[in-house]
Amino acid sequence: MPKVKVPRKSTAVDMTAMCDVSFLLLTFFILTAKFKPEELVAVNIPSARSQKQFTDAITILLDKDGKAFIQLGEGKTRHQMLQQLIDRNGDRYPDLKNLNDHQKELFGNIETWGGPISDLPRVLSMNGTQLQAYQKHMPGIPMDSTNNQLMDWVQSSRYATDNNIKIAIKSDKDTNIQPVKEVVKGLTARDIHRFLLVTSLQGPGTGDAAAAAPATDEKK
Amino acid sequence: MAEIDTSGGGGKHKGGVRSKKMSTRVDLTPMVDLAFLLITFFMLTTTLSKPHAMQLNMPKKPEKEEEKQEIGECQVLNILIDTLDHVWYYEGLQVAGLKQTEFAPDAKDGGIRKVVLDMIKKVPNTCPLTSKGAKREAIVLIKMLKGARYENMVDILNEMDITACKTYAIQEPDPIEIEAVENGGTVKSFTREGETAPHQ
Repeated sequence: MPKVKVPRKSTAVDMTAMCDVSFLLLTFFILTAKFKPEELVAVNIPSARSQKQFTDAITILLDKDGKAFIQLGEGKTRHQMLQQLIDRNGDRYPDLKNLNDHQKELFGNIETWGGPISDLPRVLSMNGTQLQAYQKHMPGIPMDSTNNQLMDWVQSSRYATDNNIKIAIKSDKDTNIQPVKEVVKGLTARDIHRFLLVTSLQGPGTGDAAAAAPATDEKK
Repeated sequence: MAEIDTSGGGGKHKGGVRSKKMSTRVDLTPMVDLAFLLITFFMLTTTLSKPHAMQLNMPKKPEKEEEKQEIGECQVLNILIDTLDHVWYYEGLQVAGLKQTEFAPDAKDGGIRKVVLDMIKKVPNTCPLTSKGAKREAIVLIKMLKGARYENMVDILNEMDITACKTYAIQEPDPIEIEAVENGGTVKSFTREGETAPHQ
């Protein structure tokens, strides 16, 4: 029988195309990756078993002393939120009426806000270093029943996003329950019955309840 | 027989070493490896940076009479948490049975988790059926005393999640409950309005 000659082929595969694709993907992920927002307020959040993750939320921050702050991810939404606040509650906050468009847009750069509304015109005309200094010592958003600015911000954020926003409460482990209750009361009074409590995923040895998580299924 | 044949099986050795032809191409494999490693890194870190949270649903005020749930005394478990991270609990409406426990499930008495699990198991079997003939389920009322820490609220909600307790609510504590906790479980004036004092 005549032998069939198999042509010798190289085993090396051309990697150029794969390299192109992978770098394209790499570029995409690098560009879309969001940096963690700068932690202006130190909050040591409690841990829990819940694995639920969320995005697109307005976060109500409560620090150890019960001071309230708001945090909102996107600059554009923040800008719209301020606009809604002026449009709907402008009568109650006359300080906001004199803000010009540039200042309103500047509000989009402030990721964490934690001061009375009367401070806003002053803050929005500050330069970078002054702003940083202010943000380090923010007095907190007033949330007493006669002047509940916190809830006005929350409502404005809902108007600004056509109610497509989740509401999260991020509070320190050692925060007194009273301000948390106040916030929850304020939210339920405004017909917000579902919200999120920001927690960290519990690892071994992070508190009493944490260590117990795996043991549950046995007991059932 | 003792020889081990290491050749590929055929046994026909071709003589001579073939010199490899050098290709002009650059091998891109390590570069692709690196690129994919970085891709994996960025993919994982972008999703992992999303914060975790637990969902909390507060009850709406029922608008119609039918929406109101019928609650029997035997299905209620009250949990109170005080300023010193202590957990207190009692079943039903009588504050008299107030007991103290801990969050840690490895505590001697099994902690609050065992209490809740026992309650969930007990209620459908021991409680009378509702007027509609349905079995009752345990209802946990969580009461955070003034000055309690937020972490304890999250802890107790976490316990609700772990024990798969379906019905629970956060409520304001009654004055009598505050008094009972302050006195370490013993209360002088045990009665609420319309209740007779329990025998002790």
